[in-house]
Amino acid sequence: MIKEFLKIAAKSLRTRPMRSWLTMIGVVIGVFLIISLMSLSEGIKGAMMSQLRMMGKDLIMVFPGEINDFATTFGGGLELSEDDIKAVKKAEGVESIVPMNYKAETVRHQGKVKTVLINGVSLEDGLDVLENDFGWNLEQGRWPSLGKKEAVVGNAVPSEIFSGMKPGDEINVNGKKFRVSGILKSVGNKQDDSTITVDLDMFKDITGERKGAKMLIAKAEAGYDTERVVENIKGELFETRKRVRGQDSPSFSVLSSEKVTGIVDNILGIIQIAIIGFASIAIIVGGIGIMNTMYTSVHERIKEIGIMKAVGAKNKAITTIFLIESGFFGLFGGLGGIILGLVAAKGAELAIRATGSMYLKASITPQLVIFGLIFSFLVGCIAGYLPSRSAAKMSPVEALRYE
Amino acid sequence: MAEDILRLEDIWKIYEFGQTSLAVLKGISFSVDKGSFVAIMGPSGSGKSTLLHMIGALDTPTKGKVYIAGKDISRYSEDELAGIRGKNIGFVFQQFNLFPNLTAQENVILPMVFQKSPEKERVKRARELLFSLGLEDRIHHRPAELSGGEKQRIAIARALANDPEIIVADEPTGNLDSETGKKIMEVLRTLNKEEGKTLILVTHDPNIAKLAEKTIHIKDGKIQ
Ligand SMILES: Nc1ncnc2c1ncn2[C@@H]1O[C@H](COP(=O)(O)OP(=O)(O)OP(=O)(O)O)[C@@H](O)[C@H]1O
Ligand SMILES: [Mg+2]
Repeated sequence: MIKEFLKIAAKSLRTRPMRSWLTMIGVVIGVFLIISLMSLSEGIKGAMMSQLRMMGKDLIMVFPGEINDFATTFGGGLELSEDDIKAVKKAEGVESIVPMNYKAETVRHQGKVKTVLINGVSLEDGLDVLENDFGWNLEQGRWPSLGKKEAVVGNAVPSEIFSGMKPGDEINVNGKKFRVSGILKSVGNKQDDSTITVDLDMFKDITGERKGAKMLIAKAEAGYDTERVVENIKGELFETRKRVRGQDSPSFSVLSSEKVTGIVDNILGIIQIAIIGFASIAIIVGGIGIMNTMYTSVHERIKEIGIMKAVGAKNKAITTIFLIESGFFGLFGGLGGIILGLVAAKGAELAIRATGSMYLKASITPQLVIFGLIFSFLVGCIAGYLPSRSAAKMSPVEALRYE
Repeated sequence: MAEDILRLEDIWKIYEFGQTSLAVLKGISFSVDKGSFVAIMGPSGSGKSTLLHMIGALDTPTKGKVYIAGKDISRYSEDELAGIRGKNIGFVFQQFNLFPNLTAQENVILPMVFQKSPEKERVKRARELLFSLGLEDRIHHRPAELSGGEKQRIAIARALANDPEIIVADEPTGNLDSETGKKIMEVLRTLNKEEGKTLILVTHDPNIAKLAEKTIHIKDGKIQ
C-alpha cells in the first residue's frame, strides 16, 4: 500500500516541479548551515582539544590580566613582572616554572627578510614541558645549547618562510646573528609551526626586554593536588602585588591545564549551540514553507480527495498520502542540504589549509548526517500534519462537488 | 421473493443554513432487489444526486435508515462508510472523475490499493477488466489522452475493481454523444444481466429508463 502511496506522492510532486524545488530550498538552506558549520566547528574543536589534551594534568598556566578579558591578555599589553615570576616560583607545590615570551621580529636568511614570531622559552626549565606536554619534537638537528646564539625553527619555516633552510644555517634576528640548530616536527597548526624559538636569555638579548614574561607555565610537584597549587600561586601573587605595587585587585589568571581545556571546550560548545539554534530557525522557516505548499496542494486536489474517498479510501489513507508528500520535501531538502553542506565543509577545509592558518579537518560524522536527515524529515512531517488532516476531514460529497 | 440488497426507510436530507434550512429529500422509502436494474428520474435539482449519495454510502441522511446488504449504515462512522464504499459499491459519475496524473491501469488499481489487496492480484485484475472493456491499447494512457467513451469505460472498470454487488451511476451517459452513450449503457446492462450486478442509475433519458425493471420518479425531494 505504501508503495502505491509513494507513487501517488511522487507523481503529484512531479506535476509541479518548480514549486517542489522552491519548497525544498528552505530546508536545504537550514540543513546546509547545520552540516557545514557543525562539521567545521567540530573539526576546530577536535584540533584544539587534541592539542590541549597532550598537556600533562600537573601543568598550571599563569597569565597577566583576567582570563575573561582576552583582548588585553593576548593583545600583548600586560606582562608578568620579575616579582610575579619569583612569587610563582616560591609558591608551595611548584616544582618548576617556565617563563614564556614572544614577539614578532624581522629575520634575515640568505638575503630574504621576513617578520617572524620569536618565542623565548627558558630551555633549562622548559625543554621537558615543550617536548612532553606541547609535543615539540625535533625533526632534524638538536636543541640550542645553553648560552649559545642558537635557535630551533618550526616545521613551516624551512618549507614556506625561508625555503631550503637547514640546520647550521645562519640567520639574523633583529640585527643579531644566530645559528639554526634544529628543525621541529609539525605540531599540528600553522601558527606554531611558523615560529622561531630561542632560549629566554637570548630572547631578552634580541628584544631588549630585560625582565618579565608574557606568560608562564608552572609544573606541580608530584603528590600535590594541582588545584591546590593553583590556589597557592594565586595567594603568593596576590601578596606580592599588594606589597610591591600597592594593588589589591589582582589582575592575573592562574589556570590548571584541565581548567583551560574545560574553558575552551565550553566556549566551543556554546558556539555550537548557537549554530544549531540559528540553523534550526532556518529549518523551521523551511517547514513553514512546506506547510504553505501542502495547504495549496490539498486545495488543488480537493476533487482527487473526493475521488479517493468515493472509491474507499479511509481518512488515514488520505492523511498518509499527504504526509508522504510533505515528508518527501523534508527528506529531500535535508539530503540536498547535507550534500551541499559536505561540499562546503570540504571546500572550507581545503581553503583554510591553503591559507595555512590551521590544519583544519572538517569532522563529518555519520551521526551528524543522520541527525540532519531525521530532523529535516520530521520537520516535513510536522509541517504536513495540519494540511493532511484538513484533507482527510473533508466530506466526500463536498469534495466531489468542488469545481 | 427476491432478496433486498438495498432498502431506504423514510430518508430525509436537510441542509441547515443558520436560520433557514433546506429539505432536499423528504421522506423517501423504497427497496431494490438484488441483481435488479433501477432507474431514478426527475427534474434538475429534485434531489437525485443527493439520494444516490445516500445509496452509495457517500453521505448519511439527516433522518431515516439506509440498509445495504441487510446492515443499517445511516449511523456508520466515516471509516466504516469508506469500507462499504470500497467493498460493496462501485461509482460511475457523469464527469468520469478519473485521476488526471494516473494512467488507466493505475486508476483501476486505486480502489484495490485502499482495500490492501496484494499487488500482483491488483495488476492482474485491472488488466482483465480493461481488456474485457476493450481498452487493451489504452492501459498506459492518461485520461487527457482518451475520448469521453474511453474515460467512462475506465471509470466502469474502476467501479468493478473490488467486485461490488451494487453499481451506482449518476447520469453516466450525460457527457457523451448518443452513440457512445448507447455503448456505455450496453456495458452496464451486460454487467447487470450477465454478472448479476445490481444497477442503480440516475438518468434524464426515458429510453434508458425503459430498460430498467423499476423507475423511481422524484420531484421536489419526494417520490411521485
Ligand atoms: N451541500 C449542499 N448544501 C446545500 N444545498 C445542497 C447541497 N447539496 C445539494 N444541495 C441542493 O439540493 C438540491 C438537490 O441537488 P441534487 O444535486 O441532488 O439535484 P439533482 O436532482 O441531482 O439535479 P441534476 O439533475 O441537476 O443533477 C439542489 O437544490 C442543491 O442546490
Ligand atoms: Mg445530479
